[in-house]
Amino acid sequence: MSHIDIELSHVSFSYAPSAPILRDITFTAYGHDSIGLIGANGVGKSTLLKLLVGLNLSYTGSIRIGGLPVAKENLPKIREKTGYVFQDSDSQLFMPRVYDEVAFAPRNYGLPEEEVEKRVGKALELTQIGHLKEKQIYKMSGGEKKLASIAAILAMEPGIILMDEPSIALDPKNRRNLIHILNSFGHLKIIASHDLDLVLDTCSRVMLMHGGRIVRDGNAREILTDRELLESHGLELPLCMQGLLA
Amino acid sequence: MDKLGGALYEIHHMDEMAERDQWLNRIHPLPKLLLAFAYIAVTVSFPKYHLPGLLCMGIYPIALFILGEIPFRDSLRRLRIVLPLACCVGLFHPFLERQPMSAIGNITITAGMVSMLTLMVKGFYSVLASYLLVASTSIEKICYAMRLVHIPSVLVTQVLLTYRYASLLLAEANRMMQAYSLRAPNQKGVHIKVWGSLAGQLLLRSMDRASEVYESMALRGYHGEFCYAAKPACKGRDWLYFGGWCVAFFFLRSIGEW
Repeated sequence: MSHIDIELSHVSFSYAPSAPILRDITFTAYGHDSIGLIGANGVGKSTLLKLLVGLNLSYTGSIRIGGLPVAKENLPKIREKTGYVFQDSDSQLFMPRVYDEVAFAPRNYGLPEEEVEKRVGKALELTQIGHLKEKQIYKMSGGEKKLASIAAILAMEPGIILMDEPSIALDPKNRRNLIHILNSFGHLKIIASHDLDLVLDTCSRVMLMHGGRIVRDGNAREILTDRELLESHGLELPLCMQGLLA
Repeated sequence: MDKLGGALYEIHHMDEMAERDQWLNRIHPLPKLLLAFAYIAVTVSFPKYHLPGLLCMGIYPIALFILGEIPFRDSLRRLRIVLPLACCVGLFHPFLERQPMSAIGNITITAGMVSMLTLMVKGFYSVLASYLLVASTSIEKICYAMRLVHIPSVLVTQVLLTYRYASLLLAEANRMMQAYSLRAPNQKGVHIKVWGSLAGQLLLRSMDRASEVYESMALRGYHGEFCYAAKPACKGRDWLYFGGWCVAFFFLRSIGEW
């Protein structure tokens, strides 16, 4: 799949006019970017990701994915190339077995069963949960569910990956594996996370949000090593930096 | 295990049972669905005083319990709420139809007693046939079979999603009750003062969860037509199974008339 860009211009969003959630957001993410979206709780990271896949359409301003405006008529095309991992895996997983869950998207896009099987196998192999293929989802641990939800979007072979807190519930080994998966993904990815170490390991660019705005957009290492900047926005240095920059 | 947790376990257990690799589970869902409907139709069509003939129809659920290796006692336990309701249907018949039909010793058997028993057996068999279908076929496969007989997509999707959302509702209710009981250790049940807020919270949280599940489906290409897990072709063996039972139903219905 060719690279897909995301362009936002003066995007604002609110459920009620008196309480804006996102304010005047403008940025361009290029097809090969790996972007970390950071900020304290409630600054609008998840809402911003949801706007990108058209889960909320009542925004003002302009959002274009691969040149297509995010509007109702373009949603099937946009969603076909965008993989979105929910913060809460229980909300994402609804099929009884892992295999059916991972195969859900390829089947919906009308792929033949052999191709579906191939994609599911590949996604499960990447996430290292091939042994859970036949497992009932309700019996899985939080970490296994997270990996299954990541496998479910990898099976779509998307051009963009959007992840909301992907490392929640993962043990150190699976977290390391997630970093490997993200680094081997050659297209655009935007990762909203409080796990700044993961962001440092996987993203070259960081956008820092505060009060519904992007207050800093730049090189990941520069932003994530700026103690003053992070602390003034309710964050701390990544754990791996805390000893070094003390 | 608490009641809600138990109900959730039962739903998951039924899912597991339907996914087992048994001979009966491997039969194509379409003949199984058609047979369940045919069985209920034939059972219900028995005249109200033809109890012996109706009892012979019991061979179908018995065979399915054996073929599917479905535990009978567990099944009765699961159906303990529905079965009495199904059996209550004819309770007033003995009072309405008092003409004697036969006698066992000194006890006169009236037409009302026979028709009451007939109705009870019909209800019992119908519930069993539906249960056995669900116990041997996953909900996705049943819905797939429903689409094959051209039941409108919107109705089939309703069935499927109702089944899925029921577990979500139960899971949310279970979580809330656990959180409540941990902070109300000496209470039996829920205090009347918090009924309103618990019910309101449950409604809001379930709606939230349901909309997130829908969003998750929409983001992965769902557009109103559910793509069912596997779409196996109906083989000769499946039609033989269907045909065999149809002949048996016809035969049992015919001898029931004698």
